[in-house]
Parts: sequence; structure tokens; C-alpha cells
Amino acid sequence: MAAAGSVRAALQVAEVLETVVSCCLGPEGRQVLCTKPTGEVLLSRDGGRLLKALHLEHPIARMMVACVSSHLRKTGDGAKTFIIFLCHLLRELHAITDKEKDSFFSENIQTHGRHWKKCCQWKFISQALLTFQTQILDYVMDRYLGRHFLSIFSSSTKERPLCRSSLEMLLGAYFCGRVGRNNHNFVSQLMCDYFFKCTACESGLEEVLELVDDCFVELKVGVTGLPVSDSRIIAGLVLPRDFSVYCPADGDIRIVIVIETIQPLFSTFGSEFILNSEAQFQTSQFWITERTKAIMKYLQKQNVKLLLSTVKQPDLVIYCAGLNGISVVECLSSEELSLIQRVTGLAPFVVPQASSQYELSNTAMVKFCKPFILRSKRYVHLGLISTCSFTPHCIVLCGPVQGLVEQHEVALHGAFKMLRQLFKDLDLNYVTQASDQNCTSSPLIYKNSRESNDLPEIVNGSIQRPYQDTVVKNKDELAKTQTYLKAYSNLVVPSVELETNILCSTPTVTLTDTYQTDATLRCFSPGKARIMDDHEPFIESNSANSTTENTRREISYENLQVTKNARKGSILPVRHKSLEMCTSQSYCFSSVPAGCVLPVGGNFEILLHYYLLSYAKKCQQSEETMVSMIIANALLGVPKILYKSKKGNYSFPQIYIRALHALQTNQPLISNQTGLESVAGKYQLLTSVLQCLRNILTIDSVINIKRQPQEIYDQDSEEEL
Amino acid sequence: MSRLEAKKPSFCRSEPLTSERVRATLSVLKGIVTSCYGPAGRLKQLHNGLGGSVCTTSQSAALLANLPVTHPILKILTTSVQNHVSCFSDGGLFTAILCCNLVENVQRIGLTPTTVIKLNKQLLNLCTSYLKSEACGCRIPVNFSSTQILLCLVRSILTSKPACMLTTKEVDHISTLILRAFLLIIPENAQDHIILGKSIIVPLKHQRVIDSTVLPGILIEISEVQLMKILPIKKSDSFKVALFCVSLSGDLSDTGEGDVVVSYGVSLENAVLDQLLNLGRQLASDHVDLVLCQKVIHPSLKQLLRTHHVIAVDRVGVAVMEPLSKVTGTRPIGSLDSISPSSYGSVKELCTAKFGFKHFFHLIPNETTVCSLLLCNRNDTAWDELKLTCQTALHALQLTIKEPCVLLGGGCTETHLAAYIRHKTRSEPEGILRDDGCTQTELQLIAEAFCSALESLAGSLEHDGGEILTDGKYGHFWSVQADSPSVVNWPDLLSRCGCGLYSSQEELSWSFLRSARLPFVPQTCLPCEATDSAGNLTLDCFTAKLSGLQVAVETANLILDLSYVIEDKN
Repeated sequence: MAAAGSVRAALQVAEVLETVVSCCLGPEGRQVLCTKPTGEVLLSRDGGRLLKALHLEHPIARMMVACVSSHLRKTGDGAKTFIIFLCHLLRELHAITDKEKDSFFSENIQTHGRHWKKCCQWKFISQALLTFQTQILDYVMDRYLGRHFLSIFSSSTKERPLCRSSLEMLLGAYFCGRVGRNNHNFVSQLMCDYFFKCTACESGLEEVLELVDDCFVELKVGVTGLPVSDSRIIAGLVLPRDFSVYCPADGDIRIVIVIETIQPLFSTFGSEFILNSEAQFQTSQFWITERTKAIMKYLQKQNVKLLLSTVKQPDLVIYCAGLNGISVVECLSSEELSLIQRVTGLAPFVVPQASSQYELSNTAMVKFCKPFILRSKRYVHLGLISTCSFTPHCIVLCGPVQGLVEQHEVALHGAFKMLRQLFKDLDLNYVTQASDQNCTSSPLIYKNSRESNDLPEIVNGSIQRPYQDTVVKNKDELAKTQTYLKAYSNLVVPSVELETNILCSTPTVTLTDTYQTDATLRCFSPGKARIMDDHEPFIESNSANSTTENTRREISYENLQVTKNARKGSILPVRHKSLEMCTSQSYCFSSVPAGCVLPVGGNFEILLHYYLLSYAKKCQQSEETMVSMIIANALLGVPKILYKSKKGNYSFPQIYIRALHALQTNQPLISNQTGLESVAGKYQLLTSVLQCLRNILTIDSVINIKRQPQEIYDQDSEEEL
Repeated sequence: MSRLEAKKPSFCRSEPLTSERVRATLSVLKGIVTSCYGPAGRLKQLHNGLGGSVCTTSQSAALLANLPVTHPILKILTTSVQNHVSCFSDGGLFTAILCCNLVENVQRIGLTPTTVIKLNKQLLNLCTSYLKSEACGCRIPVNFSSTQILLCLVRSILTSKPACMLTTKEVDHISTLILRAFLLIIPENAQDHIILGKSIIVPLKHQRVIDSTVLPGILIEISEVQLMKILPIKKSDSFKVALFCVSLSGDLSDTGEGDVVVSYGVSLENAVLDQLLNLGRQLASDHVDLVLCQKVIHPSLKQLLRTHHVIAVDRVGVAVMEPLSKVTGTRPIGSLDSISPSSYGSVKELCTAKFGFKHFFHLIPNETTVCSLLLCNRNDTAWDELKLTCQTALHALQLTIKEPCVLLGGGCTETHLAAYIRHKTRSEPEGILRDDGCTQTELQLIAEAFCSALESLAGSLEHDGGEILTDGKYGHFWSVQADSPSVVNWPDLLSRCGCGLYSSQEELSWSFLRSARLPFVPQTCLPCEATDSAGNLTLDCFTAKLSGLQVAVETANLILDLSYVIEDKN
């Protein structure tokens, strides 16, 4: 059965989801209790988790949830805003189509035909959205919004010292939306302390964040039954198990890691051990015992005091370790092992084949190793000495119930993800158009484009690795090739339609390409130290450019064809526009620098709303105007909900009018909120939502299959067999 | 093979607390826990229709563990109480009742959850900082030079568990035993930080409670047949002990992942047995007097050891391994071949003992930090209850060592705290509100709800229809028997307050707890002589109660904050 996949259906779904998530949004949000089929209860304000817990059946809802979770994997924030924003976008679109219904369709068209026609219209809108995402959004972000950005770093020098108070504000705002109202201050303070304790030196912030993000599960200890305020930070690493043998030792302690049993076994996998006599058996056993003792003695001679083992060691090994004063911790998980290895750079100890006398190489030092008792449960507490920029610390999270502890864990983990995103540069690229330039005056264009590129440089201070990400992330690449498509379609149109213009269009192509390389080179020159590692991706991206170049022309023809079909009536303006366009085009590569923040409370949304509206006013093209207006209006949905419960001077209309007034008169925006949020996170959220919306719009029907999903056989592997 | 099955959609409910069903279930739970509270609390008999033993109890630990709850909100409440109990042993019912009271009272007010939660938190902070401060009027510092207060604490815990079925004499006996057991596990020469030993509770059911006793060292239960074989023990002032953690039964150890091919006629069992007998000979030549094994000892080896006058006890179990190795100073041996002489330990005395109809092997170490508490009670369920109570009391004593103070029991702390909060919120509301955006009226409302939750908690100590009064000077708890004449001279009817600190001889301007009263300044700073003179006080563990208060308020806040419940029905 096929059901019409329409904006209306999507809107209904989104509205239902909106009511669920909006109750948890912002500082006034409340908790949701989820029960698992196993009977566990879980508290959450995390949008992603709620959406998953609902186990939605509706196909469009499931697609939305999938989009949200893929967005969360990347950024760790913004699930609730995602749904609200998507809902408002759909609402705006729905309103517009309702209005334009009569003008678009003649009345005598049958329903079926109307449906397909409608789909074409949605397709067209989704194209316009794509254009918006790739061109207008980045342009507006860079040109207009950029001047409002604040930085979390206290100065824009290369070391980028982190400002504690701004980090506190950032985290405070983050946890406001994540954990219960009582605890957000406490948890954000805890996180802040943790962050600064872990990063002893200023450099290597990214490295620390990456490590904490990857190994967060091992770096926290959850304790139930204690009040939340008992949570604390502990220096060193806490492993959730007891010592198999504990021998107290003072001073720095030498440790080794083993990943196999130290006691030799009769036979290993795939081999056979033939026993011919009882004496042989006894001798072998005797040899095994002596061998084990010798190894342990050897370890003791090398002054090893602690043995970390990933496997369970036999009783004999434990006994010998005890005799030699070596403490043993067994059954380390692979994640714990990898964390210890990342922190200390320690390789596993290989049991020497012959009785060796040489110096043991694979050891590390710990400051202390002692039992640690939390709520009458024993843990192993290791004072690892770090070889990287991460200073090991653990968070002990307490709470009356497991559900609350888990909520705090998830929120903390998400915060690290968010910080990781924040400390990365965000690339923006768009096409600038100077409509009044003559195409022959190429040096002039050059100058102009350089100027335009200088501007973001001044704003940002540093531009780093603009290419790397675009090559690595295929999604971005796609978006970029799309940009080229758009740009070149405009260039090629005159060469087909107007023969006279062919001369000027080709030089423009080469010109933009050379400019590209030039721009990127110049981008790198400030950070000379980076050139070495950035060179490779740069070349790669260049080659990627050249390969796509060949196909560009054909695609552009197709693309043109499509636009023709879609908008038969508007070929003329297109041609006219392209004439103008060919005059000068330059690609701008810019970025939102790492650590850019804006005050919370819908500041980003209101700013973007304002600038999109003003852009839309200037814009000549009707579809660009329409899309910009739709997005600008939808953006206001989030601050509307945030200020819902506020009254008087702090109600939404008041705030909105004040903000608009300040922007029009070029005054700084005054925010009554103390809190910051990441610009990069908001930007990514916006692009993710637009992408999701495009997905929804391009679906014309949903086919419901009532059969068990069939197993998909791997064709290739069968052939190989 | 995996089976694919479509997940059922979850069930989503908004504003769970407004539903009538939730309120009803909450009040049922409240009824259950309230009726159990205190020395006069009613017992609950829990029996499962599908089998298992019947449990008679009034303790939250046993009650909640056996009580299945289905509604997610109740689950949050019960798990949080259970988690608290597993941390502190004491104060489970206190936490549960306070949490229920708070949720119920606050709902009646109808303020927005944001305000309620913020103010509850502020009031909780007020309580904890008062309880922790020196000026606190319901806190007594513990003087470790006398056992008076500790004994009172233990006795209060014992009397508050009526399901133990103890008489006054038995309560006295058991509380002295518990205190003695606790004192035995404190090491004599303490360094900068004390590592407490362990008291092992040995069950001895169907005996008189008075027969319970405390012995230093470890008791290992053995059968009568074994006992016959062991006798007699030679006289000596020190016995050498070997403790094995590997099995001495002669089975083959792990041979690895590969195959082991044994030729025809080769008997590995014999080989291993030879090895064991060699071990036995080595033990004998090392003059070991006692061999203890966690697992099984081969009969031949036992025989060999007996011929060499070595006592062998096997199947000790993993639970006593750690205390055994601590008491005897041995290192658990994991090898069948050569044994390092340093692994042997010693005990001062070995003897056999008979308690009731059970035979024990008694190891008395040179320096005791481990003791055995032989606990007797008439039947199984009363014994279980008594055992839980003893563990609670021992734990409370440990917590008291860490934080050397106790709180007044018998409802006095609650009423005093309520009086203090009333006074504070009236006299200096600005200090509590700061800049939270809440009004003073809101604060008054929430403070009233908070205080009445505390007071009705204290009131639930009374189960026999009596009236509850509070005085206008200390804010303590006084109860009057039911059916007393209404207009009387209060001092004649009242004898002592709930905790036993004050007598009714003073003129204290009593009034009913439920009636409206003017806020007054409760007297802070307990006078020292008051605590010394009073003989029999009812006391509560400070750490457990403080944490119970925090957990109750936090859990109540959590429940009030819920806006949706999503139930996964898969």
C-alpha cells in the first residue's frame, strides 16, 4: 500500500514529537521517565534518547529519528532543537502551499495528477533549500553574523588560552538543558573542574578532549544511593574491581601489562601434547611451576610491583606474585587496556621465551596503586603518570538512583563531544558575486576577491585546514560539488545560448581555479608550521577538483535541463541572470574559528533571522527570497518556546523587538542570560535540519510492506567461495 | 540465528502525577511504609503465592526487596530508598515516608515544579547546614571514653525493629553483644588511619536469644563425624597454619586450548595423587599443625595428614578466606609443588566448641581484629530480621566512628528541624531566596509543606491513636496516650520527650503538632550536662539520617519534575 508522503503528514508527525520534546527544552524543561523492557527506569532530558525510547512506528517519524541520531553522533547536542526547528519549517512550508494552492494548480486536474505535480513542486523547493544551504547560509554566517561572535579563548594568539569563566558559562548553559534543575550548576562546575584538572598544560586541548570522549565510560565511576552532591573528582584512574593480590608499596611503582596467562600451559590452540608416562606428566608440571616462578622472580628483580592482566591468571601466578611482593589486577577490559595504553604509552609485556637476563623494556611508572573503597565496594586506584597531555582523573558520579547517575553520565559525555566540536574550525565556503564587473577586467576581479577574502581573515584571525575536512567528509564533498554544479551551470549557460559570450566564460573558469589555489596557499601561510601536515590533503583536494571538472560540463547541461523542465516559464530571467553572473565569480573559503560562541536564549536564531530577512529583501530571485523567508521565520520557533513562561519585559515579543531595534541601530545586543553556546553546533544543527527536510520533501510516497524483512545475501562473498 | 521482530511502540503519558491512579498507588505505598515505622510499627507478612518462605518484617530493606512495584514512579522511589539502605543500612523507612509526604504535600499546593524544586533545594540546604553546624540543637557529639551513647544508639536501632521479637532483657543482652563485637574489630595499635576488622555473624537458629554470644577469632562449622576424627588437639601455645586456595582433590588443572593425548596405561590421576601425597609429606616435615582448604581435600591426603597428626579442614568456602588469611597471617597457597615457608601463618589457640547442636572449630588468633557473633533467635524469620538489625547496628557504629556525632531520635529531630525552618523562613526569607526569582509567599507555602512533611513523619511514630504534642521551647516530640482527658495538666500526662532528653517537669507550653502554632526560636546548642545526665536516650545515626534526608528531598524533586513517562512495552 502506498500512502502519499506529504508535508502535511510530516508536519503532523513533527508536531507530536514537538510536544514531547518541547517540555524538556531549555532551563525550564522537565524530566521524562523512561522504562526499559528489562524493568530499569531511566530519567532523561536528552532529546535523542527520548526519541529512541518512543519506538516510533510511523515511517516518516522513524526517518526523522534517524536524522536526529546521525546528527547527535556528530555533535552530541541539539536533538530537541532539531525537532522544534524542523516542525516550524514544515509549518511554514505548509502555510505557503496552502496559500499558493490556487495559483499553482488549475482546478480540473485530477487528484492523482495533482499529487505528482505537488511532488515536483516539493522537489523544486528542496532544490532551493540546497542552494540556500550551500550558498546563502555560509555567506550570511560569514559576512553578517561573524561580527557578533564571541570567543571562548581569552586571546586569539596561537596558544589560545582558555577563559575559565566563559567555559563555565558555556557548560552552565549546556547542562541547563540536560540535567535536572537542581543539579545543573553542580554538574557543570564538576565538569569544569574536571576539564581543567585533566588539561594540565594549555596545549593539546583537542587531544585531551578526543581521549576523554573516546574513553569516557572508563573515566567515570557511578555510585548509587548517595546524594548527588557527593560526586567528586579523583586524581588517577579507578578500575571497578579489586586486587587479586595486594602488596602495599611506597614511592613510584613500576607496572607491566600482560595479555596472556603467565603460567605456561600444556598445549596451545591447534597443537597436541602427547603424554607417554606418568613421570613425563610430573616433570612437565614441575617444569611449568618452576617456569612460572622464574618469570615472577624475574619481574620482581626488575622491580615490577604491579601486574595488570587482561585475562584471569591461574592460582599459581597469583600465589607467586604474592610471594614476590607484586600486586595483581586481573580481567581488565579491552577498553580499560586501551585507555591505560593511550595514557602511558605502555606496550604489553611479552613473556620471554628463554630465561632472560636483559632489562625489561615495556614498563611504566605509577605514582601510587591502592585499594579504594566507595560505598563498601572495592576499587583499584592507580596514579598513572601520563605521557600525553591528558592528566588522568576520574569522576565519581553519585545519585540516589541509577537513572539519575546515568543521566549525568550521558550529559557529561555529550558535553565533551560538544567541546570537541567547538574547538574545531568550521568551514564556510560560498560564491560571491560582483554583478557590475566586466568579465574582461580580470585583474580587477582578482583584487576584489582578495579583498573579500581578507575580510574573514581579519575577523577570524586564523584559518586552518580549510580543505582537510571537506575532503574527508563525503557529505561536505557532495555539498561542495553541488556548489560547483550550480556555479558552473550558470557559467555554461551563456556559452550555449549566446555564442558571443564564450570568450569571457572560459577565462573565468580558469581564473577561479587559479584563484582557488592561490587563496588556499595564502590561507596556510600564516600558520607555517601547519603546512607540512596540511600539504597532502591539499593536493588531494586539488586532484578531486580536477577530476570533477571533466564531468562538470555534462552535469551542468543536465542540470540546466532539469531547471528548464521545472520552470518553463522562467527561462528568460535565468538567462538574464546568468549573463550578469558570468561577469565575476569568486569562491570564498572562510571558517568560523574554533571556540566561537554566542550568548544563549535564542541569540543565534534571532540574529540569523534578522540577517536572512534583510538578505531576502535585497535578493532578486523569488525562490531564494522565499526560502530565506521560510527559514528566517522558522528560526524564531526556538526562542518562542524558550521564553514561553516568561512574562512582562522578558516575554518573547519584547525581547524580539529590542533585539531588532539594536540591530537596526547597530548597537550591541544586550542579553539578560548568562550562558554561552557554540556557534558551530548551531550551524551544524541548521544544516542537519535542512538536510532532513530535503529528505522528507523528496519522498513522494511511502510503500508499506507487510512481510518479514528478507535477509540480504552478500553476493561478493559467494562468488569468492 | 537471530530473530527479527518489530518493536512495539512505547506507551507515553504526560503529567503522570496528576493521574488519580498514580496518587492512589503512592498513597498505598505510603500507608505501607508509614505503618511499619518506629518501635510501635506494625509488622508486614510477605508471602509469595508461588512459593518461597514467608517473611515477617517491618524493615525497609526486607520489605522493599520483596515488594514488587510496577509503576515507574514507585519504582524510582523504592529503588532510591533501596540504594540508600544498601549504602547506610539505616533510615530506609525515614527516607521513603519523607519522600511520599513531600510529593503529596507539594502537589496539594499547585505551584509550578520549577519553583517547588528550587525552594525544596534551598530548604534542604538550610537543613543540612544546620545539622552540620555546631549550633545544632538536635545533635550530640559522641564521647568515645564512655560507651553510654553508643549503647543508646544500638539499643534505639534494636527497639525500632519490632519484628525481631525481643524482650527488654534480650535487647539489653544483644546490644551489649553488638557493642562488644564492634569493639573487638578495632585494632589495638591504631596508626594514622584505622582499618577495621570484620565481625562474622554465625547463624544459630531455634535457640534462646540469651544464648547469643561473641567470640574473638573465627568459628568454622564442622560436622560431628569430622569432629571425631580431629580429636584430640595437642597442647601448644602456637599452631602453624597452612591455607590453600587451590583444590587439593586431585583433579587435573587446566591443560590449555590444545589437545592432550594420553597413552594407554598412563594414569594421570595417580600422577596427581603422588604429587598431593608429596605435598602432604612436605607439610608434615614443615611441622604444620593445621591445613585449611577453600575447596576439597582428597581423602588419601587427609589420611596421610592425620597419620602425621596434622588437622585438615576442607570446604571452608570463599567467604571466610579473607578473614582467615587476615587472622592467621597466612598467604593463600596456590601451588601444589614447593611451598614457601613464608606462606605459613599461626594461631594462638585451637579448640572445638559446641553451641546448640552445632559443632565448631574455633581459631583464636594472636591479635584479634576478627570476631564471630553467634546469633540465636527462636525461628527463621525472626532470626533473619535480627541478623539484618545487627548488621544495621554494626554499620551505624562504623559510620559513627567516621562522623563522631549522633542525632536525637524518637521524632525529636524532625519536629525540632521543622520548628527551625519555620522560624528561619519567617525571620530571614531574603537569605534563603537570594535571587532565585521566587516570591516570599511561595517560600512560605513550600516551607509549610516541607515542615508538615517532617512533622507528619514524626507523627507516624504513633500508631495507637495517641496525640502528638510539641513544646514551645525545644521543639521536641511528645506523645500522649489515646483516650486521655482533653483538658488536663500536660506535665502529669507526659513523662519524657521522644528522645528522652527532657522531662515534663519544666513548663514548656505544649501544643498539638497538628494545630496551627506561632513560629518560635527553638533552643539551639545542646547543653553538655543535659546529654551526660540523661540515662536512656533514643538516638539515630547521624550520617545515615542526613543522607536519608538529602536522598528523600532529591527523589521527591525528581518525581515532581517528571513531565512524561515513556514505557517500553517490549
